[in-house]
Amino acid sequence: MCPVRLCDLPAGAIARLHATDVPGEDGALLRALGLTERCRLRLCKSGEPCIVQVRATRIGLSKTVAEQVLVVPEPAC
Amino acid sequence: MTPTDELIAPRAAIAPPVATPAAGPAASTRIALVGNPNTGKTTLFNRLCGARAKTSNFPGTTTAIRTGRAMVGGLPVEVVDLPGLYELRLNAPESRLCRDVLQGGGVYRRPDAVVVVADACNLTRNLVLVGELLATGVPVVVALNMIDLAQRRGLTLDVARLGRLIGCPVVPMVARRGIGVEAVGEAIVRRLDPSSRASAVARAAAELPPPPADRAGELPQWAERVVEASVGGPGAVGTGADTLTERLDAAFTHPVLGVVVFVALMGGLFWTLFTLAAVPMDLIEVTFARLGALAGETLPPGPVHDLVAEGIIGGIAGTVVFLPQICLLFFLISLLEDTGYLARAAFVMDRLLCRFGLPGHAFVPLLTAHACALPGIMATRLIPDRRDRLATILVAPMMSCSARLPVYVLLTSLLFANRPLVAGFVFAGCYLLGAVAALVSALLLGRTVLRGRARPMVLELPSYKVPSLTNASLTAKDQGLAFLKTVGTVIMAICVVMWWLSAYPKTEPPAEAGRLRAAAAAPNLPANEAADMVAEAEAIEARSAQAGSIAGRLGRVIQPVFAPLGYDWQLTVGVMTSFLAREVFVSTMSVLVGAAGNDDVTDAGVLGRIRGATREDGTPLFTPATSASLLVFFVLAMQCLPTLTMTRRETGQTRWALLQFLYMSSLAYVFATVTYQGLRLAGIA
Repeated sequence: MCPVRLCDLPAGAIARLHATDVPGEDGALLRALGLTERCRLRLCKSGEPCIVQVRATRIGLSKTVAEQVLVVPEPAC
Repeated sequence: MTPTDELIAPRAAIAPPVATPAAGPAASTRIALVGNPNTGKTTLFNRLCGARAKTSNFPGTTTAIRTGRAMVGGLPVEVVDLPGLYELRLNAPESRLCRDVLQGGGVYRRPDAVVVVADACNLTRNLVLVGELLATGVPVVVALNMIDLAQRRGLTLDVARLGRLIGCPVVPMVARRGIGVEAVGEAIVRRLDPSSRASAVARAAAELPPPPADRAGELPQWAERVVEASVGGPGAVGTGADTLTERLDAAFTHPVLGVVVFVALMGGLFWTLFTLAAVPMDLIEVTFARLGALAGETLPPGPVHDLVAEGIIGGIAGTVVFLPQICLLFFLISLLEDTGYLARAAFVMDRLLCRFGLPGHAFVPLLTAHACALPGIMATRLIPDRRDRLATILVAPMMSCSARLPVYVLLTSLLFANRPLVAGFVFAGCYLLGAVAALVSALLLGRTVLRGRARPMVLELPSYKVPSLTNASLTAKDQGLAFLKTVGTVIMAICVVMWWLSAYPKTEPPAEAGRLRAAAAAPNLPANEAADMVAEAEAIEARSAQAGSIAGRLGRVIQPVFAPLGYDWQLTVGVMTSFLAREVFVSTMSVLVGAAGNDDVTDAGVLGRIRGATREDGTPLFTPATSASLLVFFVLAMQCLPTLTMTRRETGQTRWALLQFLYMSSLAYVFATVTYQGLRLAGIA
């Protein structure tokens, strides 16, 4: 499947991280929080803020950040 | 055996109990507590050190670290609680500080061992930090916290296997309930003792060693492999939904419901704050009044008497009175933060504040500043980004604090004597003006000295938890002590200087006062008439002393600067003396118009005297234009030396305090001038 922006996913969708365009310290913070390449995530809430869950970590992201995160949706089980 | 006990039991496999040898680690043993945010690090610290801890800034920074002494495994050790961090290699203040401490930078020598407090529910992410620390070579003990919660979520942790995989002792723990804390202490002692068998086990080669520091990018994959080999259960590596958390998050971050909840919670917080703090505040005021009276009775009249009774006791009382508000505020904020709500609230406010270059975290400091700018500035420690924190510190004092209240009451009463409704609207308008000025100023700062926008929010949303009263109490104690330290040093010195400027040199009492006193001493004069005469004489003497003081003389010299604002020398003195604290304006005015000793602005007599006060040319002192100009000036001006001191302390640089003073004073000057001249041109002078 083609990568889409995280902010375009529907709530509840599961996806794998493809890439982030978030520069500098915010990008490093995202990685430190667990948003590493190919990690599996679930979009808990879309909009502002966007809430994703990576493993047991829930991360709140401003919409501007979510627009810079590309994910590959996984088909629903 | 409880389910939690069952989970904790396997610790013996990695750390078998051994007798502590006589020649154990030295008494000056230092251990550092390190961990991701919200892993229970501070709870463990409080369990180990209790109320004996002290908070101080790490040398050369404004980042606070807590140190304390504890008996760990029967040995006296110094415990350093480092700020929560995600990774050592991040370019964040807490990561830099941690790197410094681990390398023995500053005055802190390298710790003998590091205890990593890891969240058992979120092991993969926590192991990245463990891997980084293991790569530094420092002895590491992993305290696996919240093991009970992990179990409830269906995780099964093979603690012994985990320890063998990573090559260091792993001790399961529930810090909040004190379970496993002692075992952590024992593991530390064994880890430090080179002759211990456990130490040898711990030093044995890890089955799955972390990648070296130059390949730190591989740590997440390493952490995943470790978790796959030691953790089982449905939630081990998945992303399962927690329905209650999902619902609460949806409500608390909702564009409308989130704001309603936020307003209700903050309203409740501040109602509690003002209601509960009122009692100890009154008590402090009464105590200091009695102390002043006692000093007045005990010390012989003279300079020392005046210095102690008026300068030191009077000056400190005006600031210490806010101590209950500060302690209670930090207690309540700590409780809220512990629940996990504050992270959600930051997103709610971010929608509004980011338009002005402020982060969502700024809402607590800005709201707090309505009580007093001092705790408001202290509360900016919640803001992670330095630029965002500076912007918030610089604009927080524009929020109308409680010290402005007496001035607002006085001036609105003068402006709208018989129109209480209009006075009420103008009163509320002052608060609005302050808030708007703060937001617009933040916008301007973001385009000038603090270029850039508030960082888009990226924030971990911690699990919802029942808050810890112990942690909140210790936080309140720490913040209260930090505040008292500032009051007892810099602020006291400033109070003494300001008092001296407005009290010296002493002038000869005016002849008129002497005549009144002589007349009051006449025999057969009714007692009430004599008392009135003495009071009038005292008022004349106080007015003369004020006018003859250095502050009074400076007022006359500086008056031309304030002429465009409509102020004569008396109002100039009022503005100058209120530089110590805004509410001093009211007492100065009551002295200058001859109502010494009574600064109750609700007293009709005082108001009448102030309203009827005249300038030297006989024209009214308080015209509508002058009063409006003063009102605008006091809303915007930086008339509070303790706030500047706090800004200096929290930013670590004098230039920010200077910028705050110059910017706010200039803004106040310009807008007060525009107000006065505008009203004068409109014929309202």
